Amino acid sequence: MAPEDPPPLLGTWPRLYALVLLNLALMVLGFWLFERVFG
Amino acid sequence: MSSLDWFILLGTLAFIVVWGVWKTRGVATAQEYLRGTDLRWPTIGLSIMATQASAITFLSVPGQAYEDGMRFVQFYFGLPIAMVIICVVFVPIYYRLNVMTAYAYLEQRFDTKVRVLAALLVMVGRGLAAGISIYAPAIILSSLLGWSLNAMTLLMGSAVILYTVSGGAKAVSQTQKQQMVVILAGILIAAVVIAYRLPDDVSVATATSLAGALGRVNPVDFSFNLDSRYTFWSGITGGLFLALSYFGTDQSQVQRYLGGRSMAESRLGLLFNGILKIPMQFLILFIGVLVFAFYLFERPPVFFNGPTLEAARQSAQGPALAEVEARWATTFDARRDQAVALAAALADDDAAAEAQARAGLLAAQAELDGVRAEAKALIKQAVPTAELKDSDYIFVSFVLKYLPPGLIGLLLAVILSAAMSSTASELNALGSTTVVDLYQRLWRPGASDRHILRASKLFTVFWGLVAMAFAAFAALVDNLIQAVNILGSIFYGVILGIFLVAFFLKWVRATPAFLAALLAQTGVIVLYFVSDIGFLWFNVIGCALVVGAAALLQAVWPGGSPTPAPLEETT
Repeated sequence: MAPEDPPPLLGTWPRLYALVLLNLALMVLGFWLFERVFG
Repeated sequence: MSSLDWFILLGTLAFIVVWGVWKTRGVATAQEYLRGTDLRWPTIGLSIMATQASAITFLSVPGQAYEDGMRFVQFYFGLPIAMVIICVVFVPIYYRLNVMTAYAYLEQRFDTKVRVLAALLVMVGRGLAAGISIYAPAIILSSLLGWSLNAMTLLMGSAVILYTVSGGAKAVSQTQKQQMVVILAGILIAAVVIAYRLPDDVSVATATSLAGALGRVNPVDFSFNLDSRYTFWSGITGGLFLALSYFGTDQSQVQRYLGGRSMAESRLGLLFNGILKIPMQFLILFIGVLVFAFYLFERPPVFFNGPTLEAARQSAQGPALAEVEARWATTFDARRDQAVALAAALADDDAAAEAQARAGLLAAQAELDGVRAEAKALIKQAVPTAELKDSDYIFVSFVLKYLPPGLIGLLLAVILSAAMSSTASELNALGSTTVVDLYQRLWRPGASDRHILRASKLFTVFWGLVAMAFAAFAALVDNLIQAVNILGSIFYGVILGIFLVAFFLKWVRATPAFLAALLAQTGVIVLYFVSDIGFLWFNVIGCALVVGAAALLQAVWPGGSPTPAPLEETT
């Protein structure tokens, strides 16, 4: 890949970054639900 | 340990070392040795994760969950955000300048003294951390297995030096890929086996609820409390700053992704870490929760450091300790009965019985904690040098006592693989920084590639010996993983501040930046000793102090260093 090539997923880097941040938000939500159920 | 365990342990470790040496036998230039080349993103991602996951991760973290619950996972909430910022800001700059170390950039932007200061700050932190990386598993495993501490330190240190010196950055990354596979497989197998060891009528869900009733299921805390070490807010801010500094400016991590085939490969490796790191930590903490639930039904020792407990039993405090241990047994039985009652109430969905059992379980736990505190006080009298915080022994003592033959060897291989992987990165980075930022820059600027390659290998050996010496003579600190993180937080905020000034405050020149870094570092060290602020906040404070002081000093320092020339490729 050339240095500025797009990522293999989602077409652009900003979209991939957004996916990583969305994943973080979903994990925090998941942990919160986990604590509500089992905590 | 059985022969099977020894075979799996030694076979796994020997394979990784031999494979690393063989795979990188062609490394012949300083560029290849110091930076590595042509790595693909899976190798980079696994290498980044393996560098961060030290043996301490597996010794301390499950014990931390056992004692304190899962809130430590919040420490990593800032990490994915940091990965994105590093991909956007740091990686393009490092690639454009083709730097060998992160600190070379600082000379382009400021001057030599800022570069050397940042390199020295990192070397102090990493040098001590490399020692702890070897020492942590050595002290615990030698204590529990009766192995010689010095022999373990020597064996682990020598193996790491062997393949790090042989193949440099490439060998470190290649071996870390194998080590991370062993680590991830070990974690998953451990979780399944511990779940299997629960009583037949207790499901994983019920066990989690029982642990939750005693405050161990607490992965998210939204309260804004500066004194609390791990909250959502400290993780998303302090954890972000620590991760930015660690992954963006610490050579042991920068070196991992600078070895990528392209900038895209480096970015993908970092994002891979941003997605997988938190689930991995969550799983390790969850293993600690399952061990806690397991010990609701199986009586744990009153103190997890077995040899120290035995020494106390043999001392003049022995009779008093025996009486406390007898009460420990009866109090444990009472807590187990309450746990059984709560499990039954949960199964029957009986709200009234559940509330009653929860209250009973909490009271029984408080009583048990009281007996344990009495035992610890007696142990301290019997063995005054004993470290009373035994949480680092909880997981490994469980592994040794309850896991089947074969798996003990695998789990010990996981712990030692993690120790070797993080130590290798640290030695590799320390060797590179010493050669590139000090030796080549200050003393031998015109040295040949061959000379630099040889010097790099010698400095790697030197740092390996320093780490082994530190490991051989260090004393057990309160909690190993916290010691490493506290040490990192004291230095990392300032280092990150220097880089942020370099990136974003273009009008700030070298001398104000240098003085600001010195002032901020002094301020953070003073704060550490005189305040009760949670250590994660030192990352924010150190960084903010550098940025604020640099801007202020530049405003009153019109005769600072000349504006630097446009950035060019350097090494």
